[in-house]
Amino acid sequence: MKRLLVVIFLVASGCAIVPQNRRGQLADPIMSLEQDSLEAHKRAKFYSTREGAAGGDGEPAGGGCGCQ
Amino acid sequence: MIRRLFALALVIFAPAFGAHADEPLSDSAILGAPPGFTIESLRLRFTHYDQEGRGYQSQADRPQVSQPGSEAVTVEQPQLEVVANQGKFTHRLWVPVDIVTAASPDALDAISSASRTNEAASLDLTSTYHLSHESDLFLRGGFHLEEPFRSWNLGVGGSRSFADDNTVISASLNQVFDWLDRFNIFGTRLGRDYRSSTNANLGVTQLLSPTTVAHLEYGVTVQLGQLSNTWNAVPLATGNLAEERLPSLRHRHAFVGRLAQALPWHGAIHGFYRFYVDNWGILAHSFEVALYQRFSSFGYVRLNYRVHHQTAPYFWTPSAAANAQYRSADSDLADFTAQTLGALVAVDLRFVRRVQSMHLDFGYERYFRTNDLRVNIYTCALGFVF
Repeated sequence: MKRLLVVIFLVASGCAIVPQNRRGQLADPIMSLEQDSLEAHKRAKFYSTREGAAGGDGEPAGGGCGCQ
Repeated sequence: MIRRLFALALVIFAPAFGAHADEPLSDSAILGAPPGFTIESLRLRFTHYDQEGRGYQSQADRPQVSQPGSEAVTVEQPQLEVVANQGKFTHRLWVPVDIVTAASPDALDAISSASRTNEAASLDLTSTYHLSHESDLFLRGGFHLEEPFRSWNLGVGGSRSFADDNTVISASLNQVFDWLDRFNIFGTRLGRDYRSSTNANLGVTQLLSPTTVAHLEYGVTVQLGQLSNTWNAVPLATGNLAEERLPSLRHRHAFVGRLAQALPWHGAIHGFYRFYVDNWGILAHSFEVALYQRFSSFGYVRLNYRVHHQTAPYFWTPSAAANAQYRSADSDLADFTAQTLGALVAVDLRFVRRVQSMHLDFGYERYFRTNDLRVNIYTCALGFVF
């Protein structure tokens, strides 16, 4: 928990307001942290049906081992 | 005569025109009436999976009880997504389909090849209400249909941006209820069973610089009920096969960090780390890096590499005791390291008539892991933004 707080503190302390007119590079689709939703589902489904440690974040996991 | 009549008309109607001009103009008076319902985008993705390998839970092509069975499978996965705007609402309709051809995922195929195809389809609708420029709320509902399995899901969530959109905080809550047929390892149907999954997520996205963006997320899922594929087999120390037995409660925690950094040569690098832990004793670390490179203003190439390591739950064994309270030999729950290597080419064409842009991409990934599983993944997509 302490490590998590340290990470949050470091991230937050590094935050400087980026004005709208300096976000040109951030607007490029290749900078998007969110994948194309259909590709994101493809990946989530693939890993949740093959790795017992998948799921638990974002989308609810499927079966016990994630095999459903 | 005409001039006198025109002057008289001006005197009579001028006050009316004047009064009208003093009223503030509304948005609709300037822009016209807002459209009631417009299609924003339409996308299709098709993915083909070709898997080979062996796992102890499978009874397909099993030479001996003590040796693993085949996990050979092919999957065709078409998906359709339509996004539409309706005033302050955005609706997303999503229909994924899975057509699985294999011996191991179907209960009947555990003992025969009577049905080598298993079809599954879902229907999912998400409606987002744009409260303001800073705030969104969404509600989602869906239904999943599969041969021995029905599932319903409902979710609610929202996001709010701060500091001129430099920080976005998001939260969501999801509930899934599964209703499934229960089979034994000989393919005999024993009745109905259920499973409940409750999931909550909290995330924050932060701009760190004009070229850097980061995201942190925590998700927790609590599952109750029948958490097994009930026809999964477990080899016993006595030389027989028996059914899998899993605890009926599972707490799952996942911490995720993402970072995207723009590169000076029209590229970007993405980093991803995920830590996972649950009350069954599974602990996992996943790392991923993706390199994007633009080859023109309308196209780019992506190379990605992922490595995942997980430990097995405390009850995992390839040779269980007959009286064990819990036991599993599922290769997906085992201790293993998995790697994924992939490449994708994408173009966004903006000179197509009647659409803002047309998206095309083609990709390939190779997944392989240390406990005998290999998958080739081929994917392509076609999308239109109107």
